[in-house]
Amino acid sequence: MLKITNLHASVEGNSILKGINLEVKAGETHAIMGPNGSGKSTLAQVLAGHDDYEVDKGEVSYLGKDLLEMDVDERACEGVFLAFQYPVELPGVNNTYFLKSALNAQRKYRGESEIDAMEFMDLIGDKIKLLNLKDSLLKRPVNEGFSGGEKKRNEIFQMAVLEPKLALLDETDSGLDIDALRIVAGGVNAMRSKDNATIIVTHYQRLLNYIVPDYVHVLVDGKIISSGDKALALELEEKGYDKIIEESKA
Amino acid sequence: MKALDNFKADFENTLQLSKGLIKEIRSKAFEKFISEKFPTRRDEYWKYSDPSSILKLDLNYNDSGDFKDDSYDIILSNGRIVKTISKFKTGNISDGLDNGDVPKEIFKEEKNPFLNLNNAFAVNGCYLILDSKTKKDVKILNVINNNSDCQAVYPKLVIIAKKNSDSTVFEEVKVVGEGINFVNSVVDIILEDGANLEHIILDDYAKDTYSISNICVKQSKDSNFRSHNFSMGKKLARRDYNIELLGTGANCDLYGLYFVDGENHIDHHTTVEHKKEHCTSNEHYKGILSGKSVGVFNGRIHVHPKAQKTDAIQNNQNLLLTDDAIIHTKPELEIYADDVKCTHGATVGQLDEKALFYLRTRGLNQKEAQGLLMRAYVGEIIDHISNGEIRTRMMNIVLDRLPKGD
Ligand SMILES: Nc1ncnc2c1ncn2[C@@H]1O[C@H](COP(=O)(O)OP(=O)(O)OP(=O)(O)O)[C@@H](O)[C@H]1O
Ligand SMILES: [Mg+2]
Repeated sequence: MLKITNLHASVEGNSILKGINLEVKAGETHAIMGPNGSGKSTLAQVLAGHDDYEVDKGEVSYLGKDLLEMDVDERACEGVFLAFQYPVELPGVNNTYFLKSALNAQRKYRGESEIDAMEFMDLIGDKIKLLNLKDSLLKRPVNEGFSGGEKKRNEIFQMAVLEPKLALLDETDSGLDIDALRIVAGGVNAMRSKDNATIIVTHYQRLLNYIVPDYVHVLVDGKIISSGDKALALELEEKGYDKIIEESKA
Repeated sequence: MKALDNFKADFENTLQLSKGLIKEIRSKAFEKFISEKFPTRRDEYWKYSDPSSILKLDLNYNDSGDFKDDSYDIILSNGRIVKTISKFKTGNISDGLDNGDVPKEIFKEEKNPFLNLNNAFAVNGCYLILDSKTKKDVKILNVINNNSDCQAVYPKLVIIAKKNSDSTVFEEVKVVGEGINFVNSVVDIILEDGANLEHIILDDYAKDTYSISNICVKQSKDSNFRSHNFSMGKKLARRDYNIELLGTGANCDLYGLYFVDGENHIDHHTTVEHKKEHCTSNEHYKGILSGKSVGVFNGRIHVHPKAQKTDAIQNNQNLLLTDDAIIHTKPELEIYADDVKCTHGATVGQLDEKALFYLRTRGLNQKEAQGLLMRAYVGEIIDHISNGEIRTRMMNIVLDRLPKGD
């Protein structure tokens, strides 16, 4: 589904991604771990199409197409979804209206008709239940004044409504309390299928107990220095990054 | 100058149309207008808007033309009343002066030349008395009906909100026909003790129109004035609000939204005179500028020595959609009382890039994302309209007129 080859990216002349190789197949869940500032969010933003980041080298093919050639919204309509590490507040933009506009934009792209109000309410009703979201959050401006945890939950709620093929979750677990973590993980798991894939960026092994990854990658200084299965996350937790970095050099 | 000669000729030709009190008012006003210098950009007050461009026009007074539309209670065509409804106490200003409905003190000599000029041409004009304690809505249409190529029109409206009355006045300006218009309009509003008035004014698009509009409001004790101003840039568009808080406990809310595009121009000068204690004013203006347009916002708050416990807020936000658009925004605070709360702020910016990116990652294209953010931006002003029907209508009109972005 996604094939990243030798990806280099920089921001304002500073090279951040220094040769990423990663292949993700439909049905798989990958976890990316790594120290602060190693480039995890940069990778997610580059995949989503943020133009602050310059792609200097490398290729990204997504469902057989050149992802880097697509506009931001085109990527979204093709099924790429980024749950932001820091979701953006949109004052004055009603959350429900926003979500409906987004869904309709994607449906239009796929040549489907606009969803009518009743159908939409039914759809979000189900997803609200799935994520145990407070109704009142839907009536408020997007993310404005939401607590940290509410923002993260709102990201996954959007994902549940938009049903992407490739979900990039950037530290969705940070800021969630224990119950919320379980609920959000449950939501993500409920959406997993053989046709879609998930890339989870996290600092905590704990999340991976709930969303069990097929692969774990360690990203350090813009490169994946080690890959393995879920056991790698446990090893990381035990040894810390320094040890893993040392071993990778050996 | 062409226009000045035409003003003189038109004034003399139309003076015999007036009788009674209005005739004297007109004469005095014209004398005053002529005796003073016509403003230029050298005047601080006109620094960014050049009224002398009007003087180059070959203007002719025109108050002819008819217009019909069932959805309005009162219609003025080129300033002349062509429809009223018996539900409201209303009529020609000249008659109102003679029968005592309209106090003649409203028409004093003014500093602002365009107030004098409008008074000088008060051939027509309409007054409206609002005296109902149960909420009444009045819809007024101000048609600028161009059938003479290059015309000068002087719409004039006097609104008197009686003691403890409660009303909404919706005033729409519509430009029909082709040609150049100089529209010098004045709305005089008086709020008696405890009166509650919501005044909504909606401008039309109009190319080749020079519009100078003054809205003068006098508020007595405990009165409450809510203003919503939706204005559109033109060759020259200037609107001044002059609010006088003359009684204790008076409150005004001034909301404004202006759009200007192309090479058009828009200028708002607002003044709130806090003359008595315990009054509040709350002003929030937002602009959207595109193309090579120019916008001006000058918000003056004048707190007089007696006006202790004044609470005044002023805020002006501007969205510049292009690099070539220009906004001059300036607060002007003069505070002569010490126990006063007064805050002001102005911002100039573009649509939030982070927000645009976020929206696009959800599938909205650039245009749709811009549209959504602009809708939110204008919504913060429109949402203050208390009348739901008008609010919805304004939202639709505004969405329709939003610059479409790129
Ligand atoms: N827009 C930007 N401008 C300047 N520097 C940037 C920008 N975005 C990222 N960087 C820098 O790139 C590096 C990688 O940042 P990134 O956000 O990708 O790290 P991360 O791995 O997600 O870290 P964390 O675990 O703290 O979230 C950091 O040094 C960061 O300061
Ligand atoms: Mg990060």
